[in-house]
Amino acid sequence: MDASDADLRRQLLELLPRLRRFARALARNTHDADDLVQVALERALTRSAQLHTGAPLAPWMFGIVRNAWTDELRSRGRRARLFAPAEAGEQAVDASAGPHTEVLAVQEALARLPAEQRGAVALVLIEGLSYKEAAYIMDVPVGTLTSRLARGREALQAMLDETTGAQR
Amino acid sequence: MSFSDETLMAYADGELDAATRAQIEAALAGDADLAQRIARQRQLRARLQAAFDPVLDEPLPPRLLESAQRFPGAVRADNLVPLRRTPAPRWSWSQWGAMAASLLLGALAAGLLLAPTGGPIITRHGEMLAGGTLARALTAQLASRQPPDAPVQIGVSFRARSGLYCRSFVLRDKTALAGLACRDQGAWRVQMLAAAATPPGTGAYRSAGSAMPPQLAQAIDGLIAGEPLDAQAEAAARERGWMP
Repeated sequence: MDASDADLRRQLLELLPRLRRFARALARNTHDADDLVQVALERALTRSAQLHTGAPLAPWMFGIVRNAWTDELRSRGRRARLFAPAEAGEQAVDASAGPHTEVLAVQEALARLPAEQRGAVALVLIEGLSYKEAAYIMDVPVGTLTSRLARGREALQAMLDETTGAQR
Repeated sequence: MSFSDETLMAYADGELDAATRAQIEAALAGDADLAQRIARQRQLRARLQAAFDPVLDEPLPPRLLESAQRFPGAVRADNLVPLRRTPAPRWSWSQWGAMAASLLLGALAAGLLLAPTGGPIITRHGEMLAGGTLARALTAQLASRQPPDAPVQIGVSFRARSGLYCRSFVLRDKTALAGLACRDQGAWRVQMLAAAATPPGTGAYRSAGSAMPPQLAQAIDGLIAGEPLDAQAEAAARERGWMP
């Protein structure tokens, strides 16, 4: 109702670039990531009544993206989780990434993490959210979030040390 | 003193309590290895951000912008509950919930109503405005003196707490829409829409505002300052062009 509708719309528009970044970290290729955001936006439209309680938009919206992604993974089944390395390499290449091997190495390493670790890493390390916010979005207790984050970090570090040499 | 990787991770992420943070900072001065472990945590964050931050500067795909522009939508999920069908014999603005209302969402999704121009509801910059017959009725028609067969029936007129004048309406066309619009900066902004299904062929049409869903009455309750305008105040507001 009233003025808050315009506010919510403005907030959502401002949030869009970050939702795309989050989706990119989850889904890797640009097209799939934008599809994910699109699905999330459509769902948000049907659930906007939930915002009447004054819940902040950003965590709510990140949560919807995360949910849409979980559903997508589920519907794709095991194939989505088991990337062949060659395929992963191909998919990770997209025009916006350019020829930077460092960027590609990081994106590919993230893509190889188990989904739940990838989500935790994306929210805390890329989106800069607190553990509490990230746990809310992933819909897990903070302890679960931190252990996924720790494992994801360790695995990333190991992969990146391997592919790019120890960068210290 | 030794710290676990998880503790150092929390330190690098700014998630530690003050006491543990102080312990780490005290230990840092004389412990190069500790400093390096923390630097490693921070470096990973920096590398991830460097890889994904460019997404923020990409142009937004039009399809996403289009979806976001429709947010949060005219009809909320809480409007999707089918309401009971009970005829309202006489109009009273607090009794609007009595008539049956059904979903608008389908009609909206089908694009039946939101034609860019020409229809009773138009969109401009992602906002819904009254157009055509609806806009004319909102501006000119008095609830106290409207013909029973007018294509738009005005329900209640009132002053919102924001100071704006708002009016509820029912469209007597095949869309059977009920809604609420407020006069703001020379336009009637549609605040809310819901489909009001009135039983066909009854005399209920005689009274203004017959088919009003309860959500709309609720919305009015949330917005209204004081009482609805009476016939005299309504006419006076019209004279002033609904200017606050």
